[in-house]
Amino acid sequence: MWRKAILLSLREKKVFTVFTLIYTTLIFLTSLFIDIGLEGTFGELAWYFVIIFFGTSLFLSMLYAWILVSRKRRVWATFKCIGYTNKDILVLVSGMIFFTTLVGFFIVIEVLFHFAAVIAYVNQIEAINIPLTILVDLLPVIATSAIFIFVQIIAFILAYRKVLKVRPIIALKKVGE
Amino acid sequence: MSSDKDIMIEAVDVNKEYRRAGAIIRALADVNLKIRSGEFAIIQGPTGCGKSTLLNVLSGLDLPDTGRIIFDGENIARATEDRLSRLRRQKIGFVFQDFNLVNTLTAIENVEAVLWPTVLRQKEIENRAISALRDVDLLDRKDHYPVQMSGGEKQRCGIARAIIHRPRVILADEPTGNLDPESEKQVMDLLKKINREMETTILLVTHRDLSSFGDKVILMDNGKITKIK
Repeated sequence: MWRKAILLSLREKKVFTVFTLIYTTLIFLTSLFIDIGLEGTFGELAWYFVIIFFGTSLFLSMLYAWILVSRKRRVWATFKCIGYTNKDILVLVSGMIFFTTLVGFFIVIEVLFHFAAVIAYVNQIEAINIPLTILVDLLPVIATSAIFIFVQIIAFILAYRKVLKVRPIIALKKVGE
Repeated sequence: MSSDKDIMIEAVDVNKEYRRAGAIIRALADVNLKIRSGEFAIIQGPTGCGKSTLLNVLSGLDLPDTGRIIFDGENIARATEDRLSRLRRQKIGFVFQDFNLVNTLTAIENVEAVLWPTVLRQKEIENRAISALRDVDLLDRKDHYPVQMSGGEKQRCGIARAIIHRPRVILADEPTGNLDPESEKQVMDLLKKINREMETTILLVTHRDLSSFGDKVILMDNGKITKIK
């Protein structure tokens, strides 16, 4: 079922792309400000930003769960008619949300690795003296992942409550009725 | 002579009321009905006569206010939602008027979707989907998306989805309601073939006169069964 959740995510191209980009940005910014907060450069201000990003990710995860269930009510109702339990549908919805976040993480990690690699490459080839900096340490990225997974759980609960409300009988109603 | 063992679906003293705009509408009034195993039954009647409500109640999608629904020997009128889901997965195939195919999935994926929550391996699911699509003569369109198919093809895909798990009963709600006469005949011939060859019980709801296809025609009006032919 998890594989099917990935398949459904990838086929929802527009929603998937938009939310992946938003998650990528949020994960990057949250990791960056956790990193800055740990270094103590901006004092408490960095942590305020972390809280803002945390709140935004919570809001977005819930919005994503709401979009996935509400916009596709007829699909889930049809799935219930063909024998899906509420749990089966929740696995699909939560899989779609989780996969989108996971892709966001991979993009952030990839970007950070490539950033370090490019700096190292430029230093070697051009002999320009750019200090070899790692933009964000791995620890803040892992901390961000923990925070985001916690946020996903809240979104899953919302999704489950919404899935429970989808009545299979909707599938038998005529379109537009 | 048919014994009780032959009865696939039975409605006993079923009543159902709706409240709409302050008025109480009696959708089903003391309905008693027996559908035998392997029978092709057609519920026919004008719009608003209660035929769709009867189909919903018989399939466990809606609950009757009073009465019993015996499905393959089990009273489902008060069954839990999970029990009803399992029952639908094992014994019922649905065919919808609006086809209800997932637009982002191909024909074969739409058919396979029924078996996704089961323990079957992907290869086995794929083989069964191919077999179901072959049965409805749609194998050449297996990688097409619903938007790339005609109404008749979409409905045949919907029928393939309904038979992939070899259900004991197919419930069809106005399956030809959105089709032209030629596609209507194709779909009805196909359902008749499934009924004969797979011995699947078929319960079909329609407002059109499709009585020539059925073994039993149940006429409804004002929430009551007026005649069984």
